[in-house]
Amino acid sequence: MMSQTQNTQATVSDKDWEPKIVAFLCNWCSYAGADLAGVSRIQYPHNVRVIRVPCSGRVNPAFLLRALQNGADGVLVSGCHPGDCHYISGNLVARRKFALLKELLQYAGIEPQRVQFTWVSASEGGRFAAVVEKVVEDVRKLGPNDKLVKVL
Amino acid sequence: MTPSHEIEARLREAAEELLRDKKVDLFLGYEKASLPFRTSPAFLTMPEEARRLAWNPFCTANLAVYLPRLFKAPADAREAKAASPPPAVGVVLKGCDIRSAVALIQERQVPREKLVIVGVACPGMADRRKAEKALGEREALGAGEDAEGNVRAVVEDGTEVILLREEIVAGACLECRSPTPSIHDVLIGTPVEARDPGAARRQTDEFESKTLGARWAHLQETLSKCIRCNACRQACPMCYCKECLLDQTLPRWVGTSTDISDVTIYHLVRAFHTAGRCTECGACARACPMGIDTRLLVRKVSQEVEDLYGYRPGEAIDAKPPLSAFAMDDSQDFLTEP
Repeated sequence: MMSQTQNTQATVSDKDWEPKIVAFLCNWCSYAGADLAGVSRIQYPHNVRVIRVPCSGRVNPAFLLRALQNGADGVLVSGCHPGDCHYISGNLVARRKFALLKELLQYAGIEPQRVQFTWVSASEGGRFAAVVEKVVEDVRKLGPNDKLVKVL
Repeated sequence: MTPSHEIEARLREAAEELLRDKKVDLFLGYEKASLPFRTSPAFLTMPEEARRLAWNPFCTANLAVYLPRLFKAPADAREAKAASPPPAVGVVLKGCDIRSAVALIQERQVPREKLVIVGVACPGMADRRKAEKALGEREALGAGEDAEGNVRAVVEDGTEVILLREEIVAGACLECRSPTPSIHDVLIGTPVEARDPGAARRQTDEFESKTLGARWAHLQETLSKCIRCNACRQACPMCYCKECLLDQTLPRWVGTSTDISDVTIYHLVRAFHTAGRCTECGACARACPMGIDTRLLVRKVSQEVEDLYGYRPGEAIDAKPPLSAFAMDDSQDFLTEP
């Protein structure tokens, strides 16, 4: 954890800072969508670090906060479109969680663009690339995340 | 407003009867503590003990917090064999406490059939800290109550000081929307009207009218006082998890230090975990030794749940908690579209 934090500091002071995005992608749709973007050779920003999760419903808000604390500039969570969930309703339960989380963070004073949620299906390689592009652009405009980062 | 001594007498009567008729094995209420402006929880098992029960403006504690521990499920088959059957419990609950109990029943932490709810229509409890502050340098040696519900405090030199009830009412009680118990087996006291049902929303609206940066600065300033004692978690009737996410070490999701980043994440996670469950009893704020407004974030989450999913916790036992449910047409305006 120590080294991660130090890395962040180095990035922040760096003039050619690049946003660091952690993306939680569901195994069944969004991860496959990202894979399709890759095999279709669609170009998208390299700022995104993908973490594969079984379902967007698996994503605990604490994961996102922990990512931001450890130096991510933004977090993206993507799951199957409503109705397409491999576990029938995981994404629908997640939708309520994310709606509240986003409101809460905004209320607490954290830029809403730091945490983003979307749906990407397995056939939407192009959409995945477009979403990543948008998230990276949003976070680039905000600059480095200095709010929840733990500085030792 | 029913006078306190009348409520106290009727509480004792009810407790004695329940214990004598063996309708309950345990009766949970308040008794006088050794210091003025305070009460302790009383755990009664014999009818003769009923006279220990007290009712005064300082019966602030939410007794629903003890309920999940009384009905803890056995950990394994061997423990289940050795376990005695769950007790029947009589418990004194105010309007907000009852809503906590209802939420616990919904979450299957407490069996309704084992519970005898003695509801008290609550006129709003006094805040110990506000009372102490009103006395200033002087220290109270004793406290009583006059006919209007104001607190009579006896200070060191033997003089009596009257503290007006409205001036020392606890913060959560000022915002209270349901002082009269919704669900009960016995109801004591005449129903009470809410003081100012819009108070909580006004506070969040005011906070929200600030800029993003100002909100963050305010939050950081408030939370910088936090010493991470976890009292707000322990006092909350809804925080009963056997292993709390905040205590997990493999992996450790939330740091335990008083670093402002760890503190902020702790409070964000705590607020989030009360979504659709917080009954606004204010136990967290009263428990805080540093006087932090622990409800700053929680208040917002509750209102958001109400706005988005039309749900207010603790109103009906058969209602489905919003975060264990979904609707196909839930709002998703917050999603990122490329």
